[in-house]
Amino acid sequence: MIEIRFHGRGGQGAVLASELLAQAAFLDGKSPQSFPFFGVERRGAPVTAYTRIDDRPVRLRTSIPNPDVVVVLDPGLLGTTRVTDGIRPHGLLLVNTPKSSEELEAPDGVRRAAVDATKIALSHGLGTPMMPIVNTAVLGALARATGVVSLEALSRAIEQFVPRSPVENRLAARDGYTTVRTVEVGALLSPLPVGAPVPRPSGEGPIAVVPSETIHTAAWRTFTPKIHLERCTKCNFCWKFCPDDAIEFDPQGFPRIRLAYCKGCGICAAECPPKTIEMLETLA
Amino acid sequence: MTRKVLSGSYAQSYAAKLARAQVISAYPITPQTSIVEKLAEFVATGELAAQFIKVESEHSAMQVCISASALGARTYTATSSQGLLLMHELLHWASGMRAPIVMGVVNRAVAPPWNIGADHTDTISQRDTGWIQFYAESNQEVLDTVLEAYRLAEDPQVRLPAMVNEDAFYLSHTVEPVDVPDPETVDRFLPPREAHAVLVPGETMRLGSFTGPDHYVEFRERLAEANARVPKVFAEVEAEFRDATGRDHEGAVPTYRVDDADAVLVTMGTATTTARSVVDELRAEGRKVGLAKIRLFRPFPEDEVQRLARVADRIGVADRSWTFGRTGPVATEVAAALYTAPRRPALTGFLAGIGGRDVTPHEVRRMYDTLLSREAPTTHWVDLEEQGVKVDG
Repeated sequence: MIEIRFHGRGGQGAVLASELLAQAAFLDGKSPQSFPFFGVERRGAPVTAYTRIDDRPVRLRTSIPNPDVVVVLDPGLLGTTRVTDGIRPHGLLLVNTPKSSEELEAPDGVRRAAVDATKIALSHGLGTPMMPIVNTAVLGALARATGVVSLEALSRAIEQFVPRSPVENRLAARDGYTTVRTVEVGALLSPLPVGAPVPRPSGEGPIAVVPSETIHTAAWRTFTPKIHLERCTKCNFCWKFCPDDAIEFDPQGFPRIRLAYCKGCGICAAECPPKTIEMLETLA
Repeated sequence: MTRKVLSGSYAQSYAAKLARAQVISAYPITPQTSIVEKLAEFVATGELAAQFIKVESEHSAMQVCISASALGARTYTATSSQGLLLMHELLHWASGMRAPIVMGVVNRAVAPPWNIGADHTDTISQRDTGWIQFYAESNQEVLDTVLEAYRLAEDPQVRLPAMVNEDAFYLSHTVEPVDVPDPETVDRFLPPREAHAVLVPGETMRLGSFTGPDHYVEFRERLAEANARVPKVFAEVEAEFRDATGRDHEGAVPTYRVDDADAVLVTMGTATTTARSVVDELRAEGRKVGLAKIRLFRPFPEDEVQRLARVADRIGVADRSWTFGRTGPVATEVAAALYTAPRRPALTGFLAGIGGRDVTPHEVRRMYDTLLSREAPTTHWVDLEEQGVKVDG
């Protein structure tokens, strides 16, 4: 059995990627199982999805703490999510990134593969520069780097189950397949340790408590607001409309973003009467 | 038969389509799942000749099903967690009016805290509404049980509503291969509903209207009798399903390697699959352990559970919900069943996997370790001990 864990953001197609992989494995005659895990269905929020592929029906119904392969659809997650947690010896980390596989940062002993799926997706008109749909290019890369499914089965799965632009998605898978590069750095003797997914509530006192700061919703942010104070009228509209109470005031009464809570929704920028708030892309 | 890779949610949709449900009603927003989305698509494309009635709440969805069922229609709805809780009042109406509705439920945790993970609290809270309750372990079992549930619910000796429950994410969002039977096969197994004791325009009849103490007791007694007939009718339905499809889901309480077992763990839902692989590992190590799955929770299969008392001295029950102020609800049922058993094994209750917490092979193994230890406690909250918190009853 091979166990694969996908890390992506809501809206990027990580869930569809894990399902497409299962469909492709099924077409190859294998017995797949695939499912996502998410809390809030919101664009930008980190999403994890799991796929198991075996020759016989899978007999585990749990998430995957010790994956053979970790697939990262958004390189921005590398800074906020411990994607290599629990990876097995000879495990593979596959990342959508313009970097080369040699440049990828990962613990020693984790095999690394890189594919520029964003560039491939955009070259076939899949998604927009702000939100490219990278899943099929990444799956093509995964097929080549692991051999877990054939490119032919993947293409057939795309044809059957991708509702929009099946031709372009097949081409993206092919390009991912042909351009992915893998390197090995050192050797891993035992699986990497697994941390708790989020800090567990404290056991003391009559009511369990999780402090808000420990749930890192700022990791959802793909855009960050920047306030141009020279044009700010202190009308406080940003503060009134912010759904996350992520605006505070400096001693002069000018608004300031509390970045620990800002999810980058852009409502403040939309509501600001003098349009002093600019949304800047958060770079990985 | 076609083999497809389907989610547990779509397994419900395909089953309702194969059952040729005539009226489907649902509230389409959170905590709804893709079950009714797919059914709406089947209706829109003409693949399913049904009326899809979109309503403003789960409460109304159940009312539509009750009304359509009272006119003899085969009905289906689906919901989850808070939506099921909102239906509660009408669940009593459905069973009391003897409406053979079939409902798919994705088992999700109840708020607060807000959570959409697997947890049986939503359906366990409907335990006393008079509905038949099935809990599935795989997407194949989801699809097959919905078909069986219609046969059972509509049987003239039963005439009760039935819910087919599946764990959130571990089934609802999990895709895996499922054998989808041909429509002809299903049509032979599940012919159109025979409508009797239903409302007919022009004829005078009342359903669910006022009765005083002089009649109420008789109505409730008939409802209890119908529940009591379920085990016998279900056995017949299972046999016919086996003949029709070649698949056997092994009745109300399927067992695994319980012969000569020192300890048996009782599970409900998807924890069963993982536990089965742990049983194989432990057996390979020479430890005599077995597994029993509660597939039918209401009416509770007392005879089958009593049979477990003959094979093992120690029985554990893994619950995925908790009855506050008491213990795990399945553990309570098992304890009650064992009270009149010829032998009374030691019983340990485990709480494992609420709010979508993983029930891993490691944890199942620890449950068996606890069961086989010299002095097993009464109740255990699994996976809390590692954090330094232990609740022991």
